[in-house]
Amino acid sequence: MSVNVSREWYYFLRGREILLYKLLGGSSTERVTQSGVFSTRSHELMYPNEDIEDGLRVEYTALNEPFVTEALESTTSKTSGITIAFVDGGVSSDTITDTASGFNFTDGDKIRVQGSTSNDGDYTLSGTANTGTLTVATGTFTAETAGERITITQIPKEVASPDETSHINLNKMLSLAVVDYVKAMKADRNGELDKKEYYMKEFYSKLGDNESNIRKISMSFPSSPFAVR
Amino acid sequence: MTVLEAMERANLKETTLAIAWIKDAIHQIQSSTKEKIKSSKQDIIKSVDSDDNVYILPADMISLNNVSIKDTSDSKYKKIRRLTHQPEYLIEDSSP
Repeated sequence: MSVNVSREWYYFLRGREILLYKLLGGSSTERVTQSGVFSTRSHELMYPNEDIEDGLRVEYTALNEPFVTEALESTTSKTSGITIAFVDGGVSSDTITDTASGFNFTDGDKIRVQGSTSNDGDYTLSGTANTGTLTVATGTFTAETAGERITITQIPKEVASPDETSHINLNKMLSLAVVDYVKAMKADRNGELDKKEYYMKEFYSKLGDNESNIRKISMSFPSSPFAVR
Repeated sequence: MTVLEAMERANLKETTLAIAWIKDAIHQIQSSTKEKIKSSKQDIIKSVDSDDNVYILPADMISLNNVSIKDTSDSKYKKIRRLTHQPEYLIEDSSP
């Protein structure tokens, strides 16, 4: 059993690989013969000595769904309540029902379910959606009665083959930054390096603005007795 | 914002090139900031061989945010620390 993992497990990055080590001592007293003994900062380390299903979780950024079917600002539909149930339709389509008739989604929307016992995840609506029923493909849901507080949120739907009508999967500020980047690349192609520099500065400026928009921090400094007021 | 709108704002006519540059821009954004985070999970295996502690990072990764291990005592993922230097191999452990 793995316990105290935050204190006893370490990783080392080697190119595209991640190497895992476990502290020898603490909750682990056995040694893994094949691994030998490793030493770092006066500690002895060894290779992982147990199987853990889905034990390693890596959080990272990626080029994830760059284009979507509709603007990010318009994917605002959301429903939450304790009146939502999941119906396993057998050979027919599965459905989500809401006795409070609070759904405001349309056919083809992509939704994210949170708070259910066994149906959390992302789904695409198929068939006619109305205020009381949402339809998804057969074999999607495990039957679940109402009772849990469940939230269903509309999320952007990816476009696999983007064209001119596809939307950039970014908010308005970052989309404007993308325009600056495109302008910079265009200037670079034309050999206008001063313009390229200008637009790249604009690009990074907008990235900074976007970051500060979500991290509002107010700072105050005492003014010196000689400060001009 | 649509691809077409971005093209018009940048006065660009080639759609394929515009899409490629937009992808480059998003790549740059994901490299500099944490706009959209993704996660992946792998099984940890009991080491029986000298390279059994080696796991491959996701192929689509742009920048690494954190690494965590599942604590089986409470089934929670907990962040682990990074070693700045690879541990030195000292001796063959012949009598574990």
